Amino acid sequence: MSKWMLIPCAVLAAATTVTAQDARQVVAEAQARSTTKSQRYEGRLQVVDAGGKTSEKRWTYTRLGSHGASKTIIRFTGPAEVKGVALLIVNFPDRASDQWMWTPAINRERRIATQDRRTRFFGTDFSFEDLEERDVDHHTYVMEGEETLEGERCWRIASTPRPGRRSQYTRSTLWIRQSTYSFAQVENFNGSTLVRRLRYRDMASVQGIWSARTLEMHDFTRNSRTILTLESLTYDVPLRDDQFTVQALQRS
Amino acid sequence: MLLACAGPTPAAAQPQTFEQRGYLDLTLTGYPQEALNDPTQAVGDLLFRHEVTWRKGSLKIDGAFDTRVDTNDMTERRMALTYWDRTIQRPLFAARRLSASWAYKRLTMDVGKQFVRWGKTDILTPTDRFTPRDYLTVVNTDPLAVTAARVAVASSTDSLEVVLTPRMTPSRMPLLDQRWVVLPPLPPGLSIADRGATYPEGPQVGARWNHIGRWLEHSVSVFRGYDHLPALPVSLVPGTGVLEVRREHPRLTSVGGDMAAPLPWVTLKAEAAWLGSDTPGAQELVLYVVQAERQVGEWLFIVGYAGEHVQREPSTFRFSPDRGLARAVVGRAALTIDSTRSLVFESVVRQDGDGTYARAEYSHALGAHWRLTGQAALFRGEDGDYLGQYRRNSFGAVTLRFSY
Repeated sequence: MSKWMLIPCAVLAAATTVTAQDARQVVAEAQARSTTKSQRYEGRLQVVDAGGKTSEKRWTYTRLGSHGASKTIIRFTGPAEVKGVALLIVNFPDRASDQWMWTPAINRERRIATQDRRTRFFGTDFSFEDLEERDVDHHTYVMEGEETLEGERCWRIASTPRPGRRSQYTRSTLWIRQSTYSFAQVENFNGSTLVRRLRYRDMASVQGIWSARTLEMHDFTRNSRTILTLESLTYDVPLRDDQFTVQALQRS
Repeated sequence: MLLACAGPTPAAAQPQTFEQRGYLDLTLTGYPQEALNDPTQAVGDLLFRHEVTWRKGSLKIDGAFDTRVDTNDMTERRMALTYWDRTIQRPLFAARRLSASWAYKRLTMDVGKQFVRWGKTDILTPTDRFTPRDYLTVVNTDPLAVTAARVAVASSTDSLEVVLTPRMTPSRMPLLDQRWVVLPPLPPGLSIADRGATYPEGPQVGARWNHIGRWLEHSVSVFRGYDHLPALPVSLVPGTGVLEVRREHPRLTSVGGDMAAPLPWVTLKAEAAWLGSDTPGAQELVLYVVQAERQVGEWLFIVGYAGEHVQREPSTFRFSPDRGLARAVVGRAALTIDSTRSLVFESVVRQDGDGTYARAEYSHALGAHWRLTGQAALFRGEDGDYLGQYRRNSFGAVTLRFSY
């Protein structure tokens, strides 16, 4: 191989390293800016099926910790038939989460099988994997360029699960707002097929953290949408570890 | 005094909340075949359940109240509120739950009529000794609460709970003159008379330790009290031709354990308990269950085996839904179709092939308050088998629920 061919290859390799690092740095910065000790909100879920029929659920969401090492309790508050159903999710940085569900109708907690994180969460368009907290180190990133999305200038970043990291998605495309380092959109693919698109809307600074107060998940395989509206969103709520145990789930 | 002093914040300074919810269930059940002792082929059942919760700080009070009526004399007509759940029929009015709960950091205390659920398996839960059930229709069972004091200390990985009940709550077995009790043919001149129940008055105690590890969650439990399932001694009244049957509850000691292991392909769950008794003529055995479950997309599959190792058979008849499901392969498949619709199939097949039970259920939420559920159940088998004896009890049922 001639040295003239080596030089462009070396330049290209260096450029790729720089842009890959930049992409990771953008995602890391977005994660750093959204890292909090805890979070609480009241969520309103509207599921719109392919025929346009809408069903609604409400929950309270409480999380302790952030990004990969967190504990979450989701407690349904409506409609009446699911009121009181609660879910404890314990996320780990290096493996699938542990999950328990408390069903007041049978007064029993039940450990949930989590082999298939593609499973939709309570019939919504969010899968269990979509609800897990992701850490920046779970994926590799490549900067694909810049784009304007809904009037905001964004970085467009390709994200691929690291080898050994199990995911239903073979790749994702992230749009991160340049002005606030907040997520604007995530498209999740299986091969070349777009499976789900998550849009982060209705942005507001809550305690200095740019937060979406509306999340819209579109499942293209079913052509249905779930709109999650976050109300009474607060961060760094004083919470204790003993509020996120299976015993605590029962009294939630 | 302890409650007032130990909390981190004075209760008076904390806001109080009051929540309530409930539902009205109307169920119509149709049996295509007449039973030998019960010609009734259509039954209507109405249940109104109202639940209230009051919270102030770390103190919580839960109450639940049932009102029932049915067309088949399964419910008493006595206009009284029942607390102890010791009636042969279902009560017309019942305090289903009435308990106070107080939590402080890792400690939780519950006092009153409450549900104490132990075990991890779904098919049969041999360690679940504090959960009597309403077995009036055998298949669709409803857990009953027990009056107890319960203290639990829990961390993120370990929990220890101790339960004391001042008196036992029995399971409600099927009524002798209805189709869910299948009696052998009696010689001419003999008849059966239900002489009610004799309930023990002593206390029951139990303790359970649960540990959540990285690869394995497991628990160990002990119980000393009474069997909530009745033994049925039969005696002939001299000179009358009447066989008297009454319900008795032998003493029971149980030592058991359960585990759940989330493996890469399946979640493995197992549970076993040794059940012994110092009551003469009572049974002694080990009940165990092994089940595997896996979620595939919107399907949840559970397959398992329930077994028993009998050390001493009982000397009297016994209502045994637990042993009736033992020595059997059990399967369940549940599909979440969408946010409003679900489908369930389940079956039990005895290993000797003498009894089979299969059920399908479809449920559909209609708006925010209504749900329509249809189910069909099929029994097949031999007379001498627990499942097979119900082969005339295959049924279809529709339930309309209004939740609020």
